[in-house]
Amino acid sequence: MELLVKSLPLLAHGAATTLYLSAAAIVFATALGLVLALLQLFGGLILRALVEVYLYVVRGVPLLVLLFAMYYALPYADIQIEPVTGGIVVIGLYFGAFMTEVFRAAVLSVPKGQWEAARTLGLTTPRILLDVVFVQAMRVAGPPYINTCIMVVKGTSLVSIIGLADVTFIGKQIVERTLAPFEIFGAVAFVYFVICFALSRLGRHLEWRLNYVP
Amino acid sequence: MSPDVSVGSAVSAEIEIRGLSKWFGDHKVLKGVSTDVKRGEALVVIGPSGSGKTTLLRCINLLEDFQEGEIRIGGEAIGYTVDPNGKRMRRGEAEIARLRAKLGMVFQSFNLFPHMSVLRNVAFGPVRALGMPRKEAEERAAALLARVGLADKVDAMPSRLSGGQQQRVAIARALAMQPKAMLFDEVTSALDPELVAEVLDVMRQLMQEGMTMVIVTHEMAFAQAFAHRALFMAEGEIVEQGEPARLFRDPQSTRLQAFLKRFKQGYQL
Repeated sequence: MELLVKSLPLLAHGAATTLYLSAAAIVFATALGLVLALLQLFGGLILRALVEVYLYVVRGVPLLVLLFAMYYALPYADIQIEPVTGGIVVIGLYFGAFMTEVFRAAVLSVPKGQWEAARTLGLTTPRILLDVVFVQAMRVAGPPYINTCIMVVKGTSLVSIIGLADVTFIGKQIVERTLAPFEIFGAVAFVYFVICFALSRLGRHLEWRLNYVP
Repeated sequence: MSPDVSVGSAVSAEIEIRGLSKWFGDHKVLKGVSTDVKRGEALVVIGPSGSGKTTLLRCINLLEDFQEGEIRIGGEAIGYTVDPNGKRMRRGEAEIARLRAKLGMVFQSFNLFPHMSVLRNVAFGPVRALGMPRKEAEERAAALLARVGLADKVDAMPSRLSGGQQQRVAIARALAMQPKAMLFDEVTSALDPELVAEVLDVMRQLMQEGMTMVIVTHEMAFAQAFAHRALFMAEGEIVEQGEPARLFRDPQSTRLQAFLKRFKQGYQL
């Protein structure tokens, strides 16, 4: 117990880093997912093919391998990325692929009749997307989107391997000095659990808010 | 059985269809259809399923592309223009949207926007496509909803309404754009029998007010009683057309005879 209290400031610092990495990676992955989904839905043949290739490559390679590539391989190509930025970019690129699928499926789930009804009212595609399709797609995208966000949060723990001081990294260091893995990793697990639990609740709340059929 | 039958003069025609042909892949679903719909005319299109009647309707506002022929709305060609070299060009999206706004369409499956109240469904088109101030659009929407008998439902969400009520909202939504003509695609086919009449009542009222209408339907009694002209299609062609009562009582072609016979048998079963 005393050990936990003593470790608390360090762990809190690590938790803050984890939160920051998660938030930044989620924002990046969401933006990327939206752009790629729109390109895949409305882009020309070449753009669509490029996005498709990207999705296959990224989904077919483990996140850890991508992180290693960024951390160890890029310097050989004379590209220097600060590890925090690199971590955010790689995690964002990785989960952006999953977000793309979430958004694309959600837009496709909106019935064709909605598009047609809006077209007959004289609306053009961007207007229909904004006013008619996105609102309905958001309800569909909600649960899998939150799910992907939770995977991003847990995915950030991998940056501990390339030396970023997130909560997993700090936990490991404390354990190496104190030989109290049970308490410390318990606390680390608790940090992830709290973040993910909060995300789940937020998701439920938004689902309820977006439920326009009372 | 010439498909090139046109009725009425070009001057008063609201919708002109000339030599319209459409293919789905290798399958030719419309084979050179030509007809005019005069201003204030209520035209009913009947025919067996797969005859191309819904496709014809959807070509009129370009929900379906077509490969040959021409459709004019109030004299303006919808969808395609022909450049000086004779090359057929599809109009730009904004241009097509502007032309589509001149036609109202009502669908078999209502297609109301589920995330908007009834009032906003009706005001949506004028606000977004015509740039009308929201307040004005909503006042007019409320008046239209009163006209179709739904004054007490303005704040309801579509999912709370019966099929017949939803379809009347859909009609009001189309009317809100002040269209030159209205297109009806089997609008009572998805309704419970006891709800059909309330929708047909609204349509009859529109006819009497002089709205130009093209109606794809299986409601033969309604067509016979109120439509100005009926057009029988089979296999992508206009087989026979004329004044509905005469057409149904005295069909000339064997295909229409067979169709009407099957139809009556269906009723008696």
